[in-house]
Amino acid sequence: MRVPLFLLIATTLFLASCTWFPSVKEPPYKLVKTWGEYGDASGQFNEPTGIAVSGEELFVSDSRNARIQTFDFNGNFQRQFGKSGEGAGQLGRPMNLTVANNKLYVADYFNDRVQIYTLQGQFIRAIGKAGAGPGEFNAPGGVAVAENGDLFVADFYNQRVQQLDKNGSFIRQWGTSGETGVWAGEFNYPTDVAIAADGTFYVADGYNDRVQAFSPNGEVFHKWGGPLAMNIFGSFSGWFATVTGISVGPQGNVFVADFYNDRVQKFKPDGEFLNAFGLPAQEPTHTAIAVAVAKDGTVFVADYANHQIQKWRPSE
Amino acid sequence: MKKSILLAAITLLWSVTLFAAGSQYSLRIDGLACPFCAYGIEKKLIRTEGVESVAFDLEKGVVKVKVGEGVVFTESQLKRLVGDAGFTLRSMSEQPL
Repeated sequence: MRVPLFLLIATTLFLASCTWFPSVKEPPYKLVKTWGEYGDASGQFNEPTGIAVSGEELFVSDSRNARIQTFDFNGNFQRQFGKSGEGAGQLGRPMNLTVANNKLYVADYFNDRVQIYTLQGQFIRAIGKAGAGPGEFNAPGGVAVAENGDLFVADFYNQRVQQLDKNGSFIRQWGTSGETGVWAGEFNYPTDVAIAADGTFYVADGYNDRVQAFSPNGEVFHKWGGPLAMNIFGSFSGWFATVTGISVGPQGNVFVADFYNDRVQKFKPDGEFLNAFGLPAQEPTHTAIAVAVAKDGTVFVADYANHQIQKWRPSE
Repeated sequence: MKKSILLAAITLLWSVTLFAAGSQYSLRIDGLACPFCAYGIEKKLIRTEGVESVAFDLEKGVVKVKVGEGVVFTESQLKRLVGDAGFTLRSMSEQPL
C-alpha cells in the first residue's frame, strides 16, 4: 500500500512538533517576591551566579563581591563569609553552589578548586588545583555531591565532568579533556551538575544548549534540548540558549537555568518538558543563571542581570 | 633662560607621565553577556604579565584592558589569549592613557 506523500509529511511534522515543540503541562508558577540590588553591602549583590538551599536557608554566590551570603526564605539577610583572594577559604568568583552532608560546596572559578565550608561559613578544605590532569580544574562551574561524598565537578574549560572521591582523588571522567563535542557523553563548556536521590546525575552542558542525563553507573541514557540535543539553540519550550545551572527538585524533577532565554525550565526526570518561568532582561544582560528548589517546591533563582534573587511558587 | 628651563622641565614631566601611564586596548568580542564567558576572559587576561586591569562594556561588547608602562601586545597575541578563553577577537584598538 502506498502512503500519500502529504500524509507522510503531515505525520512527520506532527511527531516532530510533539517532540520538539512540547506544550506546557502545568499551571504557571507565580513570582512571590524579589530581593537585592546592585552593591556590596549586606543583602546587595554584584553579579549573583549560584544558589543553593539548606533546610530553611538560602546560600547565594555573590560573585564579584567574592563572598557567600545567606538569607531566610523571605529574603532577610542572615550572614556572609569569604573575601577576595587565593588563600584558603578566600574566593575568586564563586559560581554554582551545592549543599550536601551539612556542608556547602563552592565552585571557585578563578582559583580552580572546589571549596568546602560548614553551613555556618567556616572553611573546611579545598579540593583540586589548576591544571588539566586528573583531579585538576580549569574554571570549575558547578559541583554535585553523591550520598557517599563523591564529587561530580563541571570542569568548564577542560570540557569534562570529573568524579572525585570525598578526599579529592580522581575516580573517572566524562568528556575528553580540552575537546568539545556534541555527541552523547561529550561536552561544550559544562557549567553545572545535579544529582538525584537514586544516583542519576544531570549535566548542564552549557554551550551545547542541552542537558545530559547519566545513570548511576555513568552511562548517558538521555539528552535533551532542541532537535536531537546537538547544539541547536532556541527559545521554544524545551529548547535552551546556554544552560548555566541545574537542580533536582524534591519530586525528582529537573530545573534548568536557561540563561539567554531568561527563564527556568522544569522537566520530568526523563526530560519531558513541564513548565517554564522567568523575568525578562534588558539586553545585553540576562537574568536566570542559577536555580535551587526547596523541599516545599519553592523555586529560587539567582538573577544575574538585576543583581537580585527571585522567589517563585507553583500554583496552588 | 628661566622660561626655557621651565618649559623643558614641564615637557619632560609630561612625556614621562605619558610614558608611565601605559595604554589601553579595546577588544571587541561577541558573547560577553554570559559570566562564564566574561570571567573566563578576565581570568586569562588578568593573569597575563603586564596587564593591570580588565573592564567590560557589555553594551558595546568591548573588553578594555589597561597595561603598564612599556607593555605592548600584538594583535596575534591578543587573538590567542581571547581564543584560549573560547572566543573570537573581532577587532581591537589601542589608545595611550
